[in-house]
Amino acid sequence: MGVALLGMGICGFTPTSTGLSYREMIAKAAKMAYRDAGVTIDQIDGAVSAEEDFPSGYSIADEYVPDQLGMVRKPVYTIPGDFMHAVASAAMQIETGRFDILVVESYSKASNVLTKDEMIRFAFDPVYNRFGLSPHWLAGLELNSFLSEAGYAIEEVAEVVVKNREAAIANSNAPYGDKYSVDDVLDSRPVSLPLTELMCAHYADGAVIAVLGTDEAARSYSEKPAFISGIGWGSGTSILERRDHTFSIGTAIAAERAYQESGINNPTDQIDAFFVSDSYAHRQLMHMEALGVNDNHDSIVNPNGGALGGGDMFEATGGVRLFEAFSQLRGEAGRCQIDAQRALVHAWRGIPTDSCVVAILDIERRAL
Amino acid sequence: MSNRVAVIGVGMTKFMRRAQEAPGELAAQAVRMALEDAGLDIDDIDAVTLGTAPDAFDGVHMKGEHLIAGAGGSNKPYMRHFIGGATGVMSPIHGWMHVASGKYNSCMVVAEEKMSPCTPHPAGAFITIFDRVTEQPLELTLIHIFALEMARFMHVYGYSERDLAEVSAMIKRNALHHPASQVAVDLSADDVLNSPLLSWPVKRLDISPTSDAAVAIILVNERLARTLKKAPVFIEGVGFRLETAYWCTRDLCYPDYVAMAARDAYKMAGIVDPEKDIDFFEPYDPFDYKALHHLNALLLDKTGRTVKNLFESGNLSCEGSHPMCPSGGALGVGNPIAATGLMKIAELYFQLSGQAGKRQIQRALRRGVAQAWGDLMQAGTVVVMGSEGASPVNLSHWNTMKREDLPGTPIKSVDDVPNISDAPDLRYAWDNGFAISTYLDGLKKGKIRGSLDTHTNRMMVPARPFSEIADLAPVTNYYNLPDSGVVKTFTISHVNWDSSPLPDGEVNIFAVIALDGINEDMGLVHKLGDVDPEDVKIGMRVKAVWQPESKRTGGILDIKYFAPLGRKKTNLGMTQIKPVEVDVLAMAQKQGKIPLSYRYTAGVGGAKFYADLVKGKINGTYAAERDEVIIPPAMFDEESLSILDPEKDARAVNPGSGFIRSFTVVYEDRQGHLLDKEKVVVQVEFPGVTGSIFGVLEVKDDQSFDEGSPVTLVKPEKVDGPDMVTFTLSPA
Repeated sequence: MGVALLGMGICGFTPTSTGLSYREMIAKAAKMAYRDAGVTIDQIDGAVSAEEDFPSGYSIADEYVPDQLGMVRKPVYTIPGDFMHAVASAAMQIETGRFDILVVESYSKASNVLTKDEMIRFAFDPVYNRFGLSPHWLAGLELNSFLSEAGYAIEEVAEVVVKNREAAIANSNAPYGDKYSVDDVLDSRPVSLPLTELMCAHYADGAVIAVLGTDEAARSYSEKPAFISGIGWGSGTSILERRDHTFSIGTAIAAERAYQESGINNPTDQIDAFFVSDSYAHRQLMHMEALGVNDNHDSIVNPNGGALGGGDMFEATGGVRLFEAFSQLRGEAGRCQIDAQRALVHAWRGIPTDSCVVAILDIERRAL
Repeated sequence: MSNRVAVIGVGMTKFMRRAQEAPGELAAQAVRMALEDAGLDIDDIDAVTLGTAPDAFDGVHMKGEHLIAGAGGSNKPYMRHFIGGATGVMSPIHGWMHVASGKYNSCMVVAEEKMSPCTPHPAGAFITIFDRVTEQPLELTLIHIFALEMARFMHVYGYSERDLAEVSAMIKRNALHHPASQVAVDLSADDVLNSPLLSWPVKRLDISPTSDAAVAIILVNERLARTLKKAPVFIEGVGFRLETAYWCTRDLCYPDYVAMAARDAYKMAGIVDPEKDIDFFEPYDPFDYKALHHLNALLLDKTGRTVKNLFESGNLSCEGSHPMCPSGGALGVGNPIAATGLMKIAELYFQLSGQAGKRQIQRALRRGVAQAWGDLMQAGTVVVMGSEGASPVNLSHWNTMKREDLPGTPIKSVDDVPNISDAPDLRYAWDNGFAISTYLDGLKKGKIRGSLDTHTNRMMVPARPFSEIADLAPVTNYYNLPDSGVVKTFTISHVNWDSSPLPDGEVNIFAVIALDGINEDMGLVHKLGDVDPEDVKIGMRVKAVWQPESKRTGGILDIKYFAPLGRKKTNLGMTQIKPVEVDVLAMAQKQGKIPLSYRYTAGVGGAKFYADLVKGKINGTYAAERDEVIIPPAMFDEESLSILDPEKDARAVNPGSGFIRSFTVVYEDRQGHLLDKEKVVVQVEFPGVTGSIFGVLEVKDDQSFDEGSPVTLVKPEKVDGPDMVTFTLSPA
């Protein structure tokens, strides 16, 4: 049984979103997604949300999921993971044969969190790793390890920023499109050297909704579905002292599974577009390494500008990459459009994790 | 169609009020035990899923990520699932998805909760489960919402406080033979009735204790289960449902959402009549009434007669026709939220495979059901498991397991072990949006505002921008409503939101009030005042007492409280109003915060690290399975999930032999403000050992360093957290 993407909806993405409550923002994105998928609320069997407690400000974020999706009293649960973890979970749920159509939701009200660094610091181990310093220290240290041992120059990291932010100029959903030079990036304010301010994605608010279903449901209801041909996820160890900070093992584990399911043995040749986590610029390069793609040519990696151009949205971030991939495969990416029949969507949960997801999305269901 | 999924092994720690172990160490011990129980290695496990309740307990943001290593998830597919208190029974359901989908052959399912770090009391974590704008300012906590539900349940189904005290006593007695049990005691109903009154009708012994613990189970597909010949018990049905978050808009007496989840599970399991087809029940029992409240739903009986008859005839005991909570439940074994639910799943496995020891129900068991509940009186998760009628496993070590055989190190006080304090500064400003801004604007003007859902003919309070039950249809008509109504349920509370006692003689009376002139089930929660607590009754008419106009701020506290209306008349008119204009002033945000602080035990590995650090020493731990010494000292090896002893397996590391593996120069403090002077964080490795230590490098302006530079650990003057770990450059 295959699992397909029937439709998606978004609301945002903007640095702040004062006029909309999270409920109003999500309801808007949900209505867009249901219309896009060609389904009514009655036809949806349940929901999976991707949320963590502290970004939502609630001790149990899950409570506030069902209403604005129209999913009251239906099977609903939360994955405290990236949007793409929730997609993976929903896909498994459909593959049990007991659910036909599910909705996946995540949102960010990052602008409502006044102490974001403090919150991210709170994700670190209190015994060994929670210093009285900016949590970005780990990204800075990781970047330093990566430069020393993976054979990249700092200018190549800066190039990622230049390219992604420039690509986002053409993306009407991305608030941070702009034109910078490599020197601008290297000379920007030091955060945790060698990490500078422009190497870190800014935050954005927004909601993302995806409707998943069986291939049969996709063909019955959706005008333009895409098909998930493989999806995997993986986590590097949570013990930072014994993690390899030069390589994303989480990505490699996820990719191995996704490639195997999709019958991919040469990702460089067999995948047309890559939507890869770039919440820190060096992470895009690290992730591409772990995806086994050495021909890292620019135009097919984050053609819509990634999180550097569009904003990091906490758990919703991978959902934005999925939306971009879906738009590209459908030929609806406007001025960002490239030629792609098969896309890879990657998500990373941010520091201090190495938890990643890789999904392969096709515009036509292919025989293995 | 789905692959059949079996449970083939269980592990658990003791349930403890306060464990010395860090969260990951608790999980690792449960995982190790489950692996041994199933006769598997961690390498045999394809994927790991973890259930744990709010991050506010353990005191770690993204705590699922924090628990990866302990749960056996390093370098594996790993995911966390979460439905508040209903998480523990969602855990096997999520594991079932991994295997039933055909994606994986085996899945380790882990549930962990460490509630004790949360200070002053873990109950305080619950203030932030309520709606931050319309409810949190009232300083409600979990005990209040339970008390409101309990009062309503007693009122509708005719149970007395003594009846419920008897349920508490019975379940706690069942726990006498559970090896993990934290508070098994042979109590009488009088003991429960005479325990301190916290929030009428809730007494201390009506409630389960807060706990630290971890439980792990291993799920495999049928083929593997047969190969391993481990007396498999199969998951036959699963169900999970989530109600609206607007908890004041429904009658709390009966959990429809649990019944719906049960129906889903029964349909999958082919159960037609649960009263006949299910042999024993593990409903979630964080409070005594909850066991009956949930059993009503598990028996699909809204009248409550079936359960009432079973209760009155003594048939809910382990010797009766419908044993309830034979494990000893949350009330007796303890309530480490997510781990409790998985403990109940473990009980189904033990009972159905003849491994329940002295708790074993003395007749052939074909099917059992376990259930958990959570969120804002809102989430129900249900799992039906079945045996194949095989003969009991008489040789199982579980049959003779004692508390001392289970891992876990209870401690009395966090001060008994090395510990770390932290008070995160988590502050917010909420965007209220159009509907809630209109509602708050009304409060400022002395009016309660609703919006009319024309599709279901409901006046919705607080005002909402769409109908959550009618296809998200837009709602455009807003009204000023009567500020009088009827008490649907109430509680008389003697405790604050953080469980601290109110001053002697003071009480807070919280009530759910159904407003006059609109749907009976559409209410709001607030305080009652100007009334003798003795005189409060369900059905009493009350009216809002407002703050003077000059003191109103556009918040729920603009209503001081509701006071009895008696026979006085009040204006029952409803007036349609023009909602607020959307501009940046009308959309002004409400400030909020998470008001918690934490005291963490350093854990078993961390205790060794800190004990050495204060002496300026470093020890690694020898991990036999990989034949390496690992640093920092560890209680478990994340590669093999073998349990280590940081004392016995200690191997001295020369604290002057370090060298910089990597480093970064940090310019900002924990809040993102610029530091007066930048600091260098170093990752330091030592020859001959695996791993590293992070610390701050004390470096003078004229000193230069790079990767590979030799460094020495500095002996700190005091040791109270990672900031005390510092290094200096060694002389060349």
